[in-house]
Amino acid sequence: MKVSMQWLKDYVQINERASVVADKFTLYSQEVEYTKQLVDATKLVVGYVKSCEAHPDADKLSVCKVDVGTEVLTIVCGAPNVDQGQHVIVARVGAVLPGDFEIKEATIRGVDSSGMICSLDELGIEHKYHNESGIHVIEGEVTVGANALSALYLDDEIIALDLTPNRMDLLSMHGVAYDVAAIFDKELNIPEVRLTYSDLKNPMKIRTETAACMSYYGSVIDDIEVRPSPLWMRARLIAAGVRPINNVVDITNYVMIETGQPLHAFDYDLFDSDEVVVRLAKHDETFVTLDDKTRVLTDQDILITNGKRPVALGGVMGGADTEVHDQTRTILLESAAFNPLNVRKTSTRLDLRSESSLRFEKGIDLGKTKYALDRATELLIKYANASVRKDVAYFNHVATEEKVIDVTLDKINRVLGSAYTEAHVAHVLKRLRFDFTVSDGCFNIVKPSRRPDFETYQDIIEEVGRISGYGDLPATLPRTVTVGALTPLQKFRRSLRRLLNGLGLDEVITYNLQDSEKVHKLVLDKTLQPIKVKHPMSQNRNVLRLSPLYGMVEAVSYNVARRRDSVHIFELGTRYTEHHEREVLSIAMHGTYQNRYWQSTQTLNFYTIKGIFEAVCKHYNIDSLRYEQIEADDYHPYQTARIFLEDQAIGHIGKMHPSLSAELDLADVYLLEVDLENLAEHAEALKPYEAIERYPSVERDIAIVVSEDIAAGKIIDMIRSHAQVQMKEAVVFDVYVGERLGKGLKSLGIRMVFSDPNQTLKAEVIDDEIQHLIEILEKEYDAKLR
Amino acid sequence: MDLKKIISEHETKLKDALKSVDKIEALQDVKAQFVGKKAELSKLMRHMKDLPNEEKPAFGQTINEAKQYFSSLIETRKTEILEERLRQKLAQERIDVTLPAPDFSPGSPHLLRTVIETVEDLFIGMGYLVKEGPEVESDELNFEKLNLPKDHPARDMQDSFYITDDTLLRTHTSPVQVRTMLAYGGKEPVKIICPGKVYRRDDDDATHSHQFMQIEGLVVDTDTSLADLKGTLLAVAQKMFGKDRRIVLRPSYFPFTEPSFEVDVTCSNCDGAGCNMCKQTGYIEILGAGMVHNNVLEAAGYDSTKYQGFAFGIGVERIAMLKYGIDDIRHFYVNDLRFNKQFKGGQS
Ligand SMILES: [Zn+2]
Repeated sequence: MKVSMQWLKDYVQINERASVVADKFTLYSQEVEYTKQLVDATKLVVGYVKSCEAHPDADKLSVCKVDVGTEVLTIVCGAPNVDQGQHVIVARVGAVLPGDFEIKEATIRGVDSSGMICSLDELGIEHKYHNESGIHVIEGEVTVGANALSALYLDDEIIALDLTPNRMDLLSMHGVAYDVAAIFDKELNIPEVRLTYSDLKNPMKIRTETAACMSYYGSVIDDIEVRPSPLWMRARLIAAGVRPINNVVDITNYVMIETGQPLHAFDYDLFDSDEVVVRLAKHDETFVTLDDKTRVLTDQDILITNGKRPVALGGVMGGADTEVHDQTRTILLESAAFNPLNVRKTSTRLDLRSESSLRFEKGIDLGKTKYALDRATELLIKYANASVRKDVAYFNHVATEEKVIDVTLDKINRVLGSAYTEAHVAHVLKRLRFDFTVSDGCFNIVKPSRRPDFETYQDIIEEVGRISGYGDLPATLPRTVTVGALTPLQKFRRSLRRLLNGLGLDEVITYNLQDSEKVHKLVLDKTLQPIKVKHPMSQNRNVLRLSPLYGMVEAVSYNVARRRDSVHIFELGTRYTEHHEREVLSIAMHGTYQNRYWQSTQTLNFYTIKGIFEAVCKHYNIDSLRYEQIEADDYHPYQTARIFLEDQAIGHIGKMHPSLSAELDLADVYLLEVDLENLAEHAEALKPYEAIERYPSVERDIAIVVSEDIAAGKIIDMIRSHAQVQMKEAVVFDVYVGERLGKGLKSLGIRMVFSDPNQTLKAEVIDDEIQHLIEILEKEYDAKLR
Repeated sequence: MDLKKIISEHETKLKDALKSVDKIEALQDVKAQFVGKKAELSKLMRHMKDLPNEEKPAFGQTINEAKQYFSSLIETRKTEILEERLRQKLAQERIDVTLPAPDFSPGSPHLLRTVIETVEDLFIGMGYLVKEGPEVESDELNFEKLNLPKDHPARDMQDSFYITDDTLLRTHTSPVQVRTMLAYGGKEPVKIICPGKVYRRDDDDATHSHQFMQIEGLVVDTDTSLADLKGTLLAVAQKMFGKDRRIVLRPSYFPFTEPSFEVDVTCSNCDGAGCNMCKQTGYIEILGAGMVHNNVLEAAGYDSTKYQGFAFGIGVERIAMLKYGIDDIRHFYVNDLRFNKQFKGGQS
């Protein structure tokens, strides 16, 4: 909504500049998008073209003598329409036009020129508000030398409001005036309308067959003289962002902006009946709107008919065959109220959004329908020389019962946290011009028809709060006493993130929406169905990810492409399947890990990422991990494993398939994904103190030779599960494969550490134990002591 | 016989010998030569029998003292040699201390998580719980129970990613508030914040992202007031932007709150005077808030005649961008490590 300051001053006596009004409006009512001068120019005067001759040296230029009151200027003008006897807008030397264009003395093709005769375009009035080419010729009586902007009523400021959906009352000058008067605590003057009727009687009969039209008023107005509307009205329409057309159209628009009530004028002579019947359209019924397009309707569209055929699409657009034209003499003027939902559906479906439909959609002031009709009639009588027939035809099904909203002073203060007195609140309600009574600390407010957004006392509290000023409220904290804390899972996530940072991994957050073509990449279970979004913004973000891994690999790729080789990242993300969202820890590693620079560098391999994962597990006392080698698409067939935690599969670890790496221009990529919630469940809380061992532990190394395809983990498991003496540790410290052993064999060096809390272990006991374990390994795995 | 002279001569010889010795082994020979049984000095003892009795003790004592003295000279030299030997050995271990060490540098947390933690910690300190919920959410919890029925015009404000007619990617974390209130059964006071990812159908550009993070807050009790909201948001603004910040509540509209506000904080760059950062307004919009709409309370099982409350929603990216001068929201999701690594440990 663009508010003209001049227009506003018709209703409220404010002397402040637009910027001051805007600042207050922002704090007490609605956001102001901007304020500006309607025409941002200086030193423009009314000039009279005394003579106009062709330029001696240029075909398309004229040399004009222009009287500007104090002197006669010579101005070279390029507009073809300039002529002797015109009143024109003159930008004198020193004038600044929009775009910081300063007028200077100039010599044009040998002729000195002192100023410029202006077009409306040059004043910054866009072409959509006029169709003039060339200079603007001022119509009517003007004083030579006077301020041209004042003479044209263009000496105005605009406040552009950015309205929220609940404040559609501000889509009218009256609505804005109510708020400004309340904010500035000023008198408000909404003019009353007095009409004199002609002797002719309004013949119309108006009825509705649908509740979607709540009221409908129609006047028949004769003797219309279609012509341009007065300068002031045109200027105000331009200020409001509406293109002036002719007096009939302009007056309906003007009154709509003034009152918020859209109007529609039919050519009465083309109306072809004395009856208005409002009904819903039939399914697939067609109608030609005034833009000459044939519209196919649904049973949600409101139709205005003449009893025989449709003449308008209610609230949205008139029909072609009853349109007002230059020769129109008599009109049927409509002021009606339609159901916002129907209008919204129709205008959206047909893509016919207009200033009218916008206001109907948001809900108009149901108490202003007749006023608006009368106001437009008054203006037509005045500016189109019209006369109006006796009696307005109408029906009005709007409930006449007043809705009263009750709220106590105590509730107001309790919600706002304020200490307002009854007198203060009463004064605020008066400023807002609400009709109310108060007794025993309870306010009974009649819901004003101009505020269709009001539903409950909360709306009243909002009005009291904002007009009193939120800035004056105290700033306190809630008195509700509760204990604030994180849940164990939330704490786990925090500490895990720090731990992973400590291990040198950077945290990333990647997008959850992914390309359906790529959603199964790096996901083990290819049968999983991703969740699709119905209206994706693009094909590459049309499903929810089944794993963060591919998005992370894309992040790796992004960095590698920018010459960063070492990318070690993790994400605590979510994977989405049809039945649940699971949080996962995902890791991707590429390039040098913990760069040793000039010292011998160890290359990243499977065991690096495994070590990182196990560091995490050790930190949380998570043991009983098991790795089972698997083959999976997108992964290296011999360097990938599923991870089990207490026999539950919790994720996988491995090397990305070298072909996929090559496709993405990457070197080796190592990946891990485990279920975060499983991990969190097994993360142990601190345990009671355990006595530090008093007796020395005993370490023994053995080397055994086994078949190459026996996993070291199996042998360690076997040793652990068969140990009879308390074993603290069993770990592979050496792996050897070579010709000396024979084909298909490997040697494993295994270190075992034994300790007993109650005694020093004797050598013989350990010897027997080692012997016992070796026998088992021989039996189970055909192992030979080396 | 001039014993003193002889000893003095020996001393000179010993010192010369020690000077030329630089090995422990050779030192043994010197020792034998000057203080051993076969040393000249030891041989002098043979002359003692020729001396008068009264001179014998002094003679013996002089020789012994000389021997002790010679031994100490040899020991000193031995220490010197050992020290020199160690020094030479350590010299072999000389390193260039300016060479780079292996890179054990920790990774960086994601800035958005750091900002969320800072806000969480502020609220935990004020007794709030941190609540979370699913991102694939029902229309009922995301909209309908928040006073946004199916035909509500304000749904245009939040163009959403629907999955079915009844489920969508949540457009805010408000459904977590609804879930919490429902779980509390309309009886207990509520004091929670809800951080999380949310989604809207926006084209990604410098200031829009189809996926972003929010922290919403909700307090419901019998006397929770707008003044309480103001104090709480002031605490947030001062925590995030400095202790001298002030806030301004401007009337706005959200379907789930009444009244509703946009909250501006005084510009930390100019303290309200107006500068480029705040587009000359002196204020920067940081969040939306309001008093919980009665329809929302009722839909979540709270008796709106007894309970009232406030709610607010903070855009995490917006806070981070304002605070750290980040010009493009996409930085948070591209994961260019040249960006991510700028925000290392520590507090936001
Ligand atoms: Zn500033």
